[in-house]
Amino acid sequence: MRTDSKRLETWLTLAGGFLLIVLLPALNVLPLPEFLKVSDFTINLYGKYLCYAILAISVDVLWGYTGLLSLGQALFFTLGGYMMGMYLMRMIGTLGQYHQPIPDFLVFLGWSKLPPFWQPFDSFAFAMLMALVLPGALATLFGFLAFRSRIRGVYFSILTQALTYGACLLFFRNSLLMGGNNGFTDFKFILGHDLRSAGTQRGLYIATAITLMLVLVGCRWLSRTKFGLVQQAIRDSENRVLFSGYAAAHYKLFVFVLCALVASIGGVLYVPQVGIINPSEMGTEKSLEAVVWVAVGGRGTLVGPILGAFGVNALKSWATRAYPDLWLIFLGVMFVLVTVFMPRGLVGIPDQLRELAARFQKRKTDAEPPVTGIEPDKSLP
Amino acid sequence: MTYRAWLKSLRSAPWMCWISTMLLLSGLARAAETPPAQPADSVIRSRLAKAVLAEGDEQKKEILSLAATGSKVVREVLNAWPKDRILLFAGENDTKIPALIEDETDSDGKARAVRIDTGAFLSDASGKPLKFAAADITTAETDSDLRRTLQQGLDAMALADPIPDARKTAILKLGNSQKLQNLPLLRDRLAIESNAEVRKAINESIALLQLGDPDPAVQKEAVIQLGKLEAIGSLDLLKKIVAKESTPSDIRREATSSIQSIENHIGVVNFVGTIFRGLSLGSILLIVALGLAITFGLMGVINMAHGEMIAIGAYTTYVVQNLFGTGFAFSITLPFSFGGKPIGFGLSLPGLNATGAFYESYFLVAIPLSFLMAALAGLVIERVVIRFLYRRPLESLLATWGVSLVMQQLFRMVFGANNVQVSSPSWLLGHFNLSDVLFGYNRVFVIGFAIFIVLGTYMLLTRTPLGLLIRAVMQNRDMASCIGVRTQRVNQLTFAFGSGLAGLAGAFLSQIGNVGPSLGQSYIVDAFMTVVVGGVGSIVGTVCSAIGIGTADQILQQATGSPVTGKIVVLVAIILFLQWRPGGLFSIRSRSLD
Repeated sequence: MRTDSKRLETWLTLAGGFLLIVLLPALNVLPLPEFLKVSDFTINLYGKYLCYAILAISVDVLWGYTGLLSLGQALFFTLGGYMMGMYLMRMIGTLGQYHQPIPDFLVFLGWSKLPPFWQPFDSFAFAMLMALVLPGALATLFGFLAFRSRIRGVYFSILTQALTYGACLLFFRNSLLMGGNNGFTDFKFILGHDLRSAGTQRGLYIATAITLMLVLVGCRWLSRTKFGLVQQAIRDSENRVLFSGYAAAHYKLFVFVLCALVASIGGVLYVPQVGIINPSEMGTEKSLEAVVWVAVGGRGTLVGPILGAFGVNALKSWATRAYPDLWLIFLGVMFVLVTVFMPRGLVGIPDQLRELAARFQKRKTDAEPPVTGIEPDKSLP
Repeated sequence: MTYRAWLKSLRSAPWMCWISTMLLLSGLARAAETPPAQPADSVIRSRLAKAVLAEGDEQKKEILSLAATGSKVVREVLNAWPKDRILLFAGENDTKIPALIEDETDSDGKARAVRIDTGAFLSDASGKPLKFAAADITTAETDSDLRRTLQQGLDAMALADPIPDARKTAILKLGNSQKLQNLPLLRDRLAIESNAEVRKAINESIALLQLGDPDPAVQKEAVIQLGKLEAIGSLDLLKKIVAKESTPSDIRREATSSIQSIENHIGVVNFVGTIFRGLSLGSILLIVALGLAITFGLMGVINMAHGEMIAIGAYTTYVVQNLFGTGFAFSITLPFSFGGKPIGFGLSLPGLNATGAFYESYFLVAIPLSFLMAALAGLVIERVVIRFLYRRPLESLLATWGVSLVMQQLFRMVFGANNVQVSSPSWLLGHFNLSDVLFGYNRVFVIGFAIFIVLGTYMLLTRTPLGLLIRAVMQNRDMASCIGVRTQRVNQLTFAFGSGLAGLAGAFLSQIGNVGPSLGQSYIVDAFMTVVVGGVGSIVGTVCSAIGIGTADQILQQATGSPVTGKIVVLVAIILFLQWRPGGLFSIRSRSLD
């Protein structure tokens, strides 16, 4: 059964990769009749979804493959976004409202020259480095502390949520000099290219799509190595892994840091395409939303999160316009239904149907007591 | 001390008796302070009318003696007199009728006047009230001497006010007036004053006034006295004395030591205040987290919709308040239509239009109702969602988050996206003052409320058959089921009880904060942290951690000068604390592997 879904996954990956990296941009740029044309708006929207998909993969590698439900992935995503945002803020130059060489909000806060920690962000390379170092360092510190004292399961979720909440409060403060609750916006240029031009946005879109594919392939490779097997063993029974002589904490720490970096890269690509970053992006509900995408798409698979991120966000874009009042109710009900009745998500539906059919057959032959369609969870120790 | 022993002491709790006795005593003390016997109103009125017309020393003497009666009419007249609002109406036979012109004027700028001697309106032959314009009337004249007497009378009246707090305010105002002629007034009052707080205020005011005394000996005595009284209000004046060049060295020395002792006192006051606020914040956390300690700690269900249970409690209070007032109504139109008609639903409940004490008693009705409503909602959620997830705690987190989204949106649709107004009953407003520390009634109430809820929960869990079943199921669901406990039923009841506790928290939170659709969200992280720090499954742990976190939060807020920084420090401290005790304060030890 698993081989079927694996083959499906390979095909979906290849087809999706081609569609996203080559076909969509081509349809956008080639002179085609109107009905085939993909608008600039769609490219931008899909670019956003792709960033969400990267975030979703990072959640999935943690949750679906290692059994760590982190509610702090939005924090790392936003941290990466902030680092990119700092670079983009510096690139505005004197084109801001106040026509000062420093970002507008600093002028507003009464600064006349750049605070020292802002200065190196003139360099794109430094900003990118920081987008890896900062979330990486935070994840290392937090992960080290959490895994060392064997905080796991629900407690890990609650602690990551608290971490995110604390960071969110911190970024809302003006005195952090990171834009307070308005965050960063009004970006103009990236690496000398105008962010408002369709060409730049298309370039960013392609970069995002390629990154997503690389992340996908990388994670798939990792999940098939010995490391990946240990990782999945930790998910299935951490104690057995411990008794077998593996230092589970080290594995978990590595995965946690890796996923923080992946999420951060997603954030880096997200900010120039969306054009704004503020602390509400790191609220606890954003992390939970990312978990929803994974759950809907199907955790424990790598295609699932991408499907989930696209599906739920496309649904959200439509529903927030069509039924602005009812959208949250849709989301909530969908989430309850998926969690209760579809623990394996969209990707798992074929398997689930097949199992149901098999059960139905079996029940016909030897009138067994009825069973529910829910499989006991394997991720529990 | 083991925690069982601690609980035992909590149960016998002599301090509970103390608190109730003290509350009782303060009530009695209040009842005992009835105003002194007064001459009848009509006698005062006729004397007052005469006094207005009298002259010279006799007039002044009469005014002061009238002021001593503390009558409301006298106060009105004394206030109105210097403002030229006492009319001298020319009556028959060349008599003059003094009357008080009302503040309220009609469109022509004319006002009616009340006869001081009878209390009736001045009227013409047909009984219609006469109206007077300010420009064309003769008013009772005052000279500076008389005005001083009037002010003296008013001050004396304020000092004789039956409400101790009002007396105290008046006394401190006199103390800060820096007029030595007010001294005899204060001394007279000191001779008859019985309330200790007010006596202290009088002594303080006398000393404050004496600071301006030309005699250095008196001044020195006053400085020492202020230091002894730890009078916070005198700090600025004392500092001025120290700073002044001409101050004799011995007075300066005394003033410095007085300042020192006052500042020490301020330190103590701030500390006690912080601890008190910390305790009340801890109690709020406790009330919020206790329900979670049941559903999460005992049942292992991560209920992210716990915050919305709190909101249900708060909204129930809001609805009950409206039902006691003008009624409650809402209507929702869904963006779908059926057969051309839009689908929608609504509800309209008439109100009782209650006023006064009856209206304010709405809160007493709201408390049990909010418990019931939240428990009901909990019951439904348990049946619809959670019963599928008892063996998948991580997923119960996700599903209940979905529930919380739905509920928030429902709140938004029914009650609007903005905060709703919940007014506090008057007995929860205000504060009392114990040696300069302010104790807000609502904060005292929340502490009492928390104690009550914790004791109730503890009793339920340890002293009732239901509690026994709950503990059995929580310890080992399968085993309990094997020996015939109806675990499904117990789960239902336990979850409903935990949710009901959240509803109680909501009822209280509606009194101290905003009630809005995302009310629960602001408490949910704190509540989970409280339970995790306390040790999952331990009610005592939750109590300790709630109080500890609340107090630490207040102390850090004071120390860092910003609520947000304080909160962040607390969160970091919690993460570090869990390094030291991963299982929380009171972790349950067992041999099982997780």
